[in-house]
Amino acid sequence: MIDVKDINHTFLLGKKQNETALPVLKNISFSVDKGEILAITGKSGSGKSTLLNIIGGFMKPTSGSVWIKDMNVTNLNEGEYADFRLDNIGFIFQNFQLIPSMTAFENIELPLVLKGLSEKERKKKTEQTLEQVGLSDYHHHYPSELSGGQQQRVSIARTLVIEPPIILADEPTGSLDSETEQEILDLITGLNRNIGITFLMITHDEEVARIASKQIHIHDGEIVKEEVSA
Amino acid sequence: MTFKDQWRFVRNNMKRSKSRIFMTVLATAMGVAFLIVLASVGFGLHTTFIDDIISDRSVTKIQISGIEKENDIAPITDEEITELEKVDNMKAVTRQLSLRQTPQFNMEDYNGRVETVVTHFPSELKAGMELKEGDLPEDPYEVVVGPHFIENLYPEDLPADEEIYDEEGMLKEEFKYGESLIGQEIEMVVEQNVDGETKEHEISLIITGIVEPPARDWMQDRQVYISDDVLTEVESFTETSRGAIVDPNYPEAEQEVTGYNYVYGYANSLEEVQEISEYLTEENYLVYSAASELDHLNTFFTIAKAGLIFIGTIAIIIASIGIYNTMTMAVTERTSDIGIMKAIGAHPKKIKQIFLLESSYIGLLGAFIGTVVAFVISILLNIGLPLIIESAFEQELPEGFQFSSIPPSLIVIAAVICLIVTVLSGLKPAKRATQIDVLKAMRREI
Repeated sequence: MIDVKDINHTFLLGKKQNETALPVLKNISFSVDKGEILAITGKSGSGKSTLLNIIGGFMKPTSGSVWIKDMNVTNLNEGEYADFRLDNIGFIFQNFQLIPSMTAFENIELPLVLKGLSEKERKKKTEQTLEQVGLSDYHHHYPSELSGGQQQRVSIARTLVIEPPIILADEPTGSLDSETEQEILDLITGLNRNIGITFLMITHDEEVARIASKQIHIHDGEIVKEEVSA
Repeated sequence: MTFKDQWRFVRNNMKRSKSRIFMTVLATAMGVAFLIVLASVGFGLHTTFIDDIISDRSVTKIQISGIEKENDIAPITDEEITELEKVDNMKAVTRQLSLRQTPQFNMEDYNGRVETVVTHFPSELKAGMELKEGDLPEDPYEVVVGPHFIENLYPEDLPADEEIYDEEGMLKEEFKYGESLIGQEIEMVVEQNVDGETKEHEISLIITGIVEPPARDWMQDRQVYISDDVLTEVESFTETSRGAIVDPNYPEAEQEVTGYNYVYGYANSLEEVQEISEYLTEENYLVYSAASELDHLNTFFTIAKAGLIFIGTIAIIIASIGIYNTMTMAVTERTSDIGIMKAIGAHPKKIKQIFLLESSYIGLLGAFIGTVVAFVISILLNIGLPLIIESAFEQELPEGFQFSSIPPSLIVIAAVICLIVTVLSGLKPAKRATQIDVLKAMRREI
């Protein structure tokens, strides 16, 4: 489903013409199969977020390529990648990234609006998804009126509403308490098992990583350990 | 993303910064109102002058004052009249000869000297001549007179010590001939100097009709329209061409005069006037028409209006700085939202469209409000300005004078200019929105 091939990435820091090269990813290669949950773990500054940003198309790697559904997405321009994301990749962010001026319903509906679906179709799908994440009673609530766990559910619902084959999750439980964290992890595993969504998740929390079928540990921009759960 | 959804986005976004949007729309509206009011003066004066030309004389009339022959200007004769009548789309060619003396006309106890012309009534009728009263002459010794002919008839027993004219310089009613002129017998007295003595010849004529007054109040027609036969009689008495009076000091009077004094061609429509005028000019005729005057006037006012629109556009450009500022602030405020939208798959083009739609909406709203305000100002100007001029300068403006006029074309021009300027001013902020870095916008750690 996802093939990461020889990704190298170097940040240039400092003023122009007097820059210092800081390599953050070194020869990263791995693959994620359909229906798998892959957890990338590592300490802060290990390069895991940079890797997720490259896979998500928010950054271009210095070298190497990313293949998603047998397509080299590294060469796509910003617009093409946006279209590709809209059809194939969902995102779950650590700090939820909901639009504060929109209600839960409107936030979830947004990807469908971008896809150009009819109002009737959007309403139906959004309501179904709200029910799926257990937020049927929170249609008209603004993000500021929801708890952290509820906001993350809205964020997940916004991802689910387009039924993506892949979800990239950046510290999905990073801002939640332990009780809510378990709820979200249950939701993720449920989606993986029941719908077959492929998850690629980065986390620094070993407990969270335990739900993954495969784990990759990164240290100083290099894969130092790869393990498959039993 | 459908247009309807983009529009919903724009409206929701605008609701979040109502006062700023209001001020920007207000500035745009002021710019548009300034442009329209400024240009409306050009349009108003243009309309007034055109109306003036059109109402002064027939716009389908072409004055033909002569023909260029062998480097000299020759008058129009019957030979040319025949040619002129054959010109395509020429409805009629009227011609008049002026008597070279001003005969005295006696009617009952009234008399006065009046300009006398010989006119060709069939062509005048074809050209649209109408009578105010009576009928056209059927007999050679029947005549029609101008509507102001009566003003030149004075009673024989005119009191020497009494003012006979009113404030407007017209003959007072009590001195005017009071009966109907139709059917009245009138005596035309022509003179000639013979061996130092003035001899008179009387010709008896019957008035059968009175011509329609000219279009404008200040224009007067006091002429007597006689026939060729009467002219022949006059010429046989004076033994000079067109009845000229022999005067030793002016030997030119005895010279033979050929051609008509006044020749006018009439086209069927204003469009044909230009066509006929061009053809006649090519054929060496000296022509002048209201259409050519309109042409010059149109050129002048088109330049003037373009200049006024240009000056007005500057006001909109100044207002566009506000739009640029508003849109830039909107992009800055919504950076995070834009980042989220891009992250979940919004195409940069869609983001750009949303911001362009917003700046266009500000422009159109400003154009609409500005147009309404401009209409109000224009109405107030047209009502108030004549009053101010009358009270301050004690001068009355002509009837139908229009200082400001807003035709639909001006509204379209102002709206298009406003839209172009606002879209251009929103272009850079919109482009900036598309270039927002998703990661920076979401303040994520890299």
